[in-house]
Amino acid sequence: MKGRVLNTSIMASVTAVVIVMWVMLASAPKTSAIPAFSRKYQTSCTTCHNNYPELNDFGEAFKKNGFKFPKDDEVFVKEPPVLLGSKAQKEAFPGAVYPGEIPGYVPVAFRYSGNFNYNAKQPIAAGFLPRTDLFVPNTFTIIGAGSFGPSLSFWVDNDISADGANGNAGLGDGYLKFNDLGHALGLPKDTLNLRMGQFELDLPITQARTINLTPYDVYSQASIAPVSNAACATIGSPAGTACTTNNPLQFGIPQRGIEIGGYPNDGNFIWSVAVVDGSNNTNALRNSKDVYVRVSQRFNLERDPESRNAVQAAGPTGPRDHTSIRFGAFYYYGRNALNMNGSLFPGFGTVHEPFYRAGADFRFKYRHLELYGVGMYGHDQDLLPNTVTGTGFVRTSPVTFSGGFAQANYWIYPWMIALLRYDFVDSPTDFSNGVSRYNTRNRFSPGMQFLVRANIKVAFEYQRRWEQPVTLTDGNTIFFRPNGFVSGIDYVF
Amino acid sequence: MSLFGIAAKTAVAAGLVVALAGAGWANEIKGKVSVQGIKSAENIAVYVDVIADKKFDAPKDHVVIDQRKMAFIPHVVAVQQGTTVDFLNSDPVGHNVYWPSISGNKKLSHNLGTWPKGDKKPFQFNDLGTAPLLCNVHPEMSGYVVVVPTPYFAVTDKDGNFEIKNIPAGKYTLKTWSEDGKPTTQAVDVSAATATVELTVKK
Repeated sequence: MKGRVLNTSIMASVTAVVIVMWVMLASAPKTSAIPAFSRKYQTSCTTCHNNYPELNDFGEAFKKNGFKFPKDDEVFVKEPPVLLGSKAQKEAFPGAVYPGEIPGYVPVAFRYSGNFNYNAKQPIAAGFLPRTDLFVPNTFTIIGAGSFGPSLSFWVDNDISADGANGNAGLGDGYLKFNDLGHALGLPKDTLNLRMGQFELDLPITQARTINLTPYDVYSQASIAPVSNAACATIGSPAGTACTTNNPLQFGIPQRGIEIGGYPNDGNFIWSVAVVDGSNNTNALRNSKDVYVRVSQRFNLERDPESRNAVQAAGPTGPRDHTSIRFGAFYYYGRNALNMNGSLFPGFGTVHEPFYRAGADFRFKYRHLELYGVGMYGHDQDLLPNTVTGTGFVRTSPVTFSGGFAQANYWIYPWMIALLRYDFVDSPTDFSNGVSRYNTRNRFSPGMQFLVRANIKVAFEYQRRWEQPVTLTDGNTIFFRPNGFVSGIDYVF
Repeated sequence: MSLFGIAAKTAVAAGLVVALAGAGWANEIKGKVSVQGIKSAENIAVYVDVIADKKFDAPKDHVVIDQRKMAFIPHVVAVQQGTTVDFLNSDPVGHNVYWPSISGNKKLSHNLGTWPKGDKKPFQFNDLGTAPLLCNVHPEMSGYVVVVPTPYFAVTDKDGNFEIKNIPAGKYTLKTWSEDGKPTTQAVDVSAATATVELTVKK
């Protein structure tokens, strides 16, 4: 009886998480290019973006400098800030409020994006899916960003609406950042910064500023135990007991927390350590906090020393990103809590299942070509109540997955970009849960993007997806590929 | 005629020649450009078109166009054919200068590359026409080099006024080039010390 209750509960959890996962796939939070900065500096989007919202070398330097030009910012500002106290007021501190500033313009920008989806025909047993769907997720985003002075910057972006009229949307990133705190300690420039609020983790390849129409599959991977796992039923637990791991963590979703980090040596070395909630739900799902660590090193391959040390390289036909390669590694550790209210394992306390994500990445840039990839491994230790002793929990089969993606972008013209992307996720538990025909889910996504203007983009992406099983009414199982073609419009202003 | 008389007449004749010559080189064209359908009469190039049987040596002095605060300064420069323009970068950000054509002739496109703050790159403009100056990372940057066939040219001020000085007496064809307007052609007779003209540039 107990096992049956557990199975029902697990099935409900699996279904809920899978549904959440697909909703996330359709409406992953996106941040954006910032036309407010175009207005502030009276410059085009292309100053910071080769293909918005992805940042070029100058855009990266601008962002890292607290949304200011890397050198002589005040020279370029066309809309001077409003001073919240004169500079000399610093000397009166702490007898007076420390002086700051706010942007002289209203630092607000907007973004609209909507896709036209063409879906492959799928068996009716898998549920109805329209062959075509116009302008989804139909997202309107408001973005505010800027600086509050030399060492403070801020960012807020919110999807005002998504998924059609009255659709749910929410805050993407919303944080305050203290830049170059290490300056006071005599550390090299940009060695130490502090960021607090809700933000995308310092991911190897950003999901928030992706140029793709669909999120990276491995970033959307949640760890859910198989509905039925014989290994779990053999370790002291009642017969029929299944593993219970149900970890909603997805890398691509912004989190609430505090991050310290830096990018000394002109951003060639980057490090960050973040303490986060593990989710961005209304309330934290558990008491424990997660830790995320990332380091990466860029090797600048420019031959000309002057070009190598500049913010952008001096190409024969104009400034461009440095020819470079970056290698990085990341690690995420947390303890997912289950049974907080005792309903999953009556009579037992809260179970804290340790989990981690670890991975490595690279990014290579050469003229009009950009290559990058991420490999990642996920491990969630499943724990079940020890019914032999009646107290505590025992380790059972962990839920694991591995995966990643590789992508190539090529600028045929400055306004025409070809993309080739390969996603793969190897998840035996997803296979057990009927998400895919095999352990490995692969997706191949070629695409083209056109910058109609510097702030208007039309994008196309074809997705050849992995096979999924579906059980027909006669009990037979067939397999189908939910392939799709997506074309999107996207503009910022 | 006495020797004194001959000397006196010669002196008078020489004085007249000098006076006439001096008066000729001191001529000037003053004028004002009005615009119709265009926001401003500023930055319109006004120049004397080709003068038959008259050739001019290329100027030795260079003209400088600066890139400062992510703008070409000045916005419009008129130069005589054969003039070398020095493109200076005064910004602490990378710029480049290129023009996709000269008066629509794409074979005359040119890209000068990238250079750091404080450096400049020269280019001699030997082809007549207008080179639209661009920067390939800051597309909002815009400038023009108007290459004209004679040394008699000017660029209008914010009120549309211009002056072309040191032009010999004669009859010429005056032309205009502007960023947003159609070219204007007008005959001008520079017989007086100052010839005054009124030009209208239409969109």
